[in-house]
Amino acid sequence: MSNFSRRFKSLFLSELRTGLGVTLRHFFKRKVTQRYPEEKTPLSPRFRGLHALRRYPNGEERCIACKLCEVVCPALAITIESEQRADGSRRTTRYDIDLTKCIFCGYCEESCPVDSIVETHIFEYHGEQRGDLLMTKEKLLAIGDKYEAEIALARQEDANYR
Amino acid sequence: MSLLQQRQASKTHLLNAESRQDIDRWVAKYPADRKSSAVMAALRIAQEQNAGYLSNDLIEAVAEYLEMEAIAAYEVATFYSMYDRDPVGRHKISVCTNISCMLCGSDDVVAHLEKRLGIKLGETSDDGRFTLKEVECLGACVEAPMFEVAKTYHGNLTPDKIDKILDELD
Amino acid sequence: MSDTINIEINGIPVEVRTGAMVIEAADEAGITIPRFCYHKKLSVAANCRMCLIEVEKAPKPVPACATPVTDGMKVFTKSPLALDAQQSVMEFLLINHPLDCPICDQGGECDLQDIAIGFGKDASRYNESKRVVRNKNLGSLISTDMTRCIHCTRCVRFGQEVAGIMELGAPGRGEFTEIGTYMERAVSSELSGNVIDLCPVGALTSKPYRYTGRPWENESHAHVSPHDCLGSNLQIETRRHQVMRVLPRENEAINEMWLSDRDRFSYTALQHEERLQQPLIKQGSEWRQVDWETALAYAIDGLQRVRKVDGAEKLAALISPSSTIEEMYLLQKLMRGVGSANIDHRLRQSDFSDDDGQPLFPALGCSVAELEDRDAVLLIGSNIRKDQPIAGHRLRKASRRGAHIMCVNPVDYAFNFPVDENIVVHPELMARELASIAKALLTLTANAAPAGLNVLLENVESGDAHLTIARHLQTASNASVLIGTQAMSHPQLSTLRALALAISELAGASLGYLTEGANAAGAWIAGAVPHRRHAGEHSPLTGLHTREMLNTGMSAYLLLNVEPEQDCANPAAAVRAVHEADFVVSLTPYITDDMRAYADVLLPVATFAETSGTYVNAEGKWQSFAASASTADDIKPAWKVLRVMGNLLDVGGFDYLTSEDVRDELKGQFETLTPTLKYQWQCPAVMPTKVSKDLTRIGHLGMYSIDMVVRRSAPLQATADAQIETAIVHSVTAKQQGLVAGDTVRVSQGGESVTISIAVADAVPENCVFLPMGVGGAVLGDAYGSIELAKV
Repeated sequence: MSNFSRRFKSLFLSELRTGLGVTLRHFFKRKVTQRYPEEKTPLSPRFRGLHALRRYPNGEERCIACKLCEVVCPALAITIESEQRADGSRRTTRYDIDLTKCIFCGYCEESCPVDSIVETHIFEYHGEQRGDLLMTKEKLLAIGDKYEAEIALARQEDANYR
Repeated sequence: MSLLQQRQASKTHLLNAESRQDIDRWVAKYPADRKSSAVMAALRIAQEQNAGYLSNDLIEAVAEYLEMEAIAAYEVATFYSMYDRDPVGRHKISVCTNISCMLCGSDDVVAHLEKRLGIKLGETSDDGRFTLKEVECLGACVEAPMFEVAKTYHGNLTPDKIDKILDELD
Repeated sequence: MSDTINIEINGIPVEVRTGAMVIEAADEAGITIPRFCYHKKLSVAANCRMCLIEVEKAPKPVPACATPVTDGMKVFTKSPLALDAQQSVMEFLLINHPLDCPICDQGGECDLQDIAIGFGKDASRYNESKRVVRNKNLGSLISTDMTRCIHCTRCVRFGQEVAGIMELGAPGRGEFTEIGTYMERAVSSELSGNVIDLCPVGALTSKPYRYTGRPWENESHAHVSPHDCLGSNLQIETRRHQVMRVLPRENEAINEMWLSDRDRFSYTALQHEERLQQPLIKQGSEWRQVDWETALAYAIDGLQRVRKVDGAEKLAALISPSSTIEEMYLLQKLMRGVGSANIDHRLRQSDFSDDDGQPLFPALGCSVAELEDRDAVLLIGSNIRKDQPIAGHRLRKASRRGAHIMCVNPVDYAFNFPVDENIVVHPELMARELASIAKALLTLTANAAPAGLNVLLENVESGDAHLTIARHLQTASNASVLIGTQAMSHPQLSTLRALALAISELAGASLGYLTEGANAAGAWIAGAVPHRRHAGEHSPLTGLHTREMLNTGMSAYLLLNVEPEQDCANPAAAVRAVHEADFVVSLTPYITDDMRAYADVLLPVATFAETSGTYVNAEGKWQSFAASASTADDIKPAWKVLRVMGNLLDVGGFDYLTSEDVRDELKGQFETLTPTLKYQWQCPAVMPTKVSKDLTRIGHLGMYSIDMVVRRSAPLQATADAQIETAIVHSVTAKQQGLVAGDTVRVSQGGESVTISIAVADAVPENCVFLPMGVGGAVLGDAYGSIELAKV
């Protein structure tokens, strides 16, 4: 571009007008910004948030202490201890997930043969004290109990693609 | 007590003198340190002595008599279909359902027997007359379908023939 | 025919032993052939068909485990025919196998899993229902999930061939075959745990380990068995520094690939509720939990006080024969450092009169592996099958080869091998029987009798049995005379030993000991005996042996891994002695009410799995190991405790940093001294020929009551071997005493008594009462002493 035309454009503020034009155009366009937390983005059924342990409809916990999630966890965030329950079944006595270690890769969920450990859509959790982010079996089961309907729905939606 | 020589109550007395004599004759056919080779014959003899079936005590008695482990004799008694471990009727009808007999219609034979006797395979009639038993090949494929009653083979069976055979039994 | 022939596997030339099977050749060449039923230590069954391979000119695939090699044979393990055969077999095997890997304890170490991945198809075509088999109850050690069984029959063959009693069998036929015991009896073999390792699937798994761990999360540590004198090699598996299970470590020279149940399951006692967690001291009658400094200061203070007031010769130390050699060396160094040689590890021995004639250490006389080459063995006071199961297995192998095994025992023990001559006599007559054998040998051999033997044997007669034994021992090219663990408490041990020595010398046999505990040999080498220092050196300061210590009453006792009420030949006297002592320091992993009653200081020490150390086995092999597991902070390895005590007592030379330092110091001296102590013939003064009129106790030492750890292992205590709750008498004796089986009697001995029921069996000699140590909580007198029965 010649020196002349540049000076001409500067003199008549054409850059400014182009810029304001973009602004004006977007003024009338559909908004993409979400006003979190009042507005929420849609989440995929595969979203990997806070973990939960599920139960069967009859109330029996699903986890059978096969320890596949523990061994597959790349962050070594899961700790399981197990023993034979009085009725002879294989159950955990301890199932801890250290959320400060967890990288939410979802391998635990993938490896689970009984769909027991799952990652929910919950991501807005926090801890106020040391230890709040150490999820125990009781806490994980409680999350599972609370959100079972949503968890089941997400699994169902995703099932077509597996 | 398990650390001492097992001196449990001997059960060999359950075999009567005649049976023992019979078993001894079989034992004599094998080397002295291979008494257990006579187990099949011994179990058969014990079974005949005991109205056609082997009780657990009797199996143990045979094992003890042949100086073998009870479980080894038990293995033999459960493997072969000619040994029975539950009481049987006066007449044990052993129907072959193996391939040759099956192709020649053993299913019809079984159906007819079940209908006529009112019992299923493996059962004994209430009056204690008949036991119906399914067995593997008895080596008489040439006259399939066949069954065995009281050590007698009856081949080329038809419903009529079966009825005749059964009528002749007490 | 030459010894080796050449074959070709997958185009690779392989030289193999004539008569070997193809699978052995492939294993040697490092070529993998999948297998389930084949096992190198068991006979060939060829019933799983997994190892089908193609052989040139063979019309169809052949099983590699049952096909002997022939010269020039061409084998293909990866040809389409072989792979197809293997895939088909795998498909059949999986038909009835449940898909419950996630809850199966074998998961992760399962042959079926591995081979299905490596040699199976990717999908099953089977849609019919699978069979279900009811689980069998095989006792407290083995857990069953019989639906998973693939009928390889390894467990059945193990029972027949290795354990020596066929307990498991495969009744039924075809699809209805089920592995089980006769009428659901519990498995009673002392080697039964090995079927857990043998089972290629999850049908037989460990009951104590059930559902607690996964193989991938365990760390493996090489260790050595702490329960018998063979030093079986262990693999201790830990998770987060806790012992999860114990497996055998293969060592052809000792335990091959087997392990006794005692070694395998004793770990279950490590987390026992009686575990002592913190040092305790008794002030007045109150027990106080204190820190180590306080406890040690209190202990040292007490010991110094006794030393000042009563003199150092009133200090005594008793150490378990299963302690490590480091502990033994440090303890004796500490005791001798403070001026007392009263130290002993022979807690269950009652006759010490031939101490000076003892060799450097009680050895087996041959290596463990050589036991199976024996042609004739004379067992004296030994229940080898239960006392040292792995040695028993070696003898069984010898017996299967045609060896003559004979015994002179106070009880008719049930062996798993045929016994050629089984002399069962009243304990007091055992010496006479040995004398008769010696006499028989004198007539057979030209060897000169040791001095005084001829005179001693003047009035001894020998019968046919003695002659047979003598002849077998004399004609055998490899013969052994073995003095067993049960003979150790015998009141005439020195006579038995002298006669055993005479017999072995006359017959040209080796003389050996099957000692109690894991480290009796180490104890002698370390100097944990009152009359010798380490490495067999003569001790200028001679102390008292166990019996004298307990009978004369010492002022202070230092106990290491010892429960006097259970571990001594005369528990009643031992308990009395420690109760009467002024000061008792006990270094113990466990605490009991008895300890609270007699001890003044209780120091928590590590068990075998939690300490580093060395065991010297009966053949004299030093085996060191590191700690496998860790303990609570306040539980310390005993060698460290002794090291600190040595420093606090101002005994010089206690500046070791590691247990290896301790071992190396001892080993260095042991090697420079190269001691050459041999058994010395000491002619017994008199030949005991009369039996006392009183009833005599046979204080058998049960295989599951030998040490603190084993006694607290719940699964082992639930086995038939541990469940002896009756006293046993001969039928004639029972008649004389007016007793019938099931009667309750009051048994009194050594001022103590216990109420127990009676069983009648002719396996016990007349005029004797078979009452094992510790049965029914019995703290009685001598293991072999007179005893009284009174019907209640």
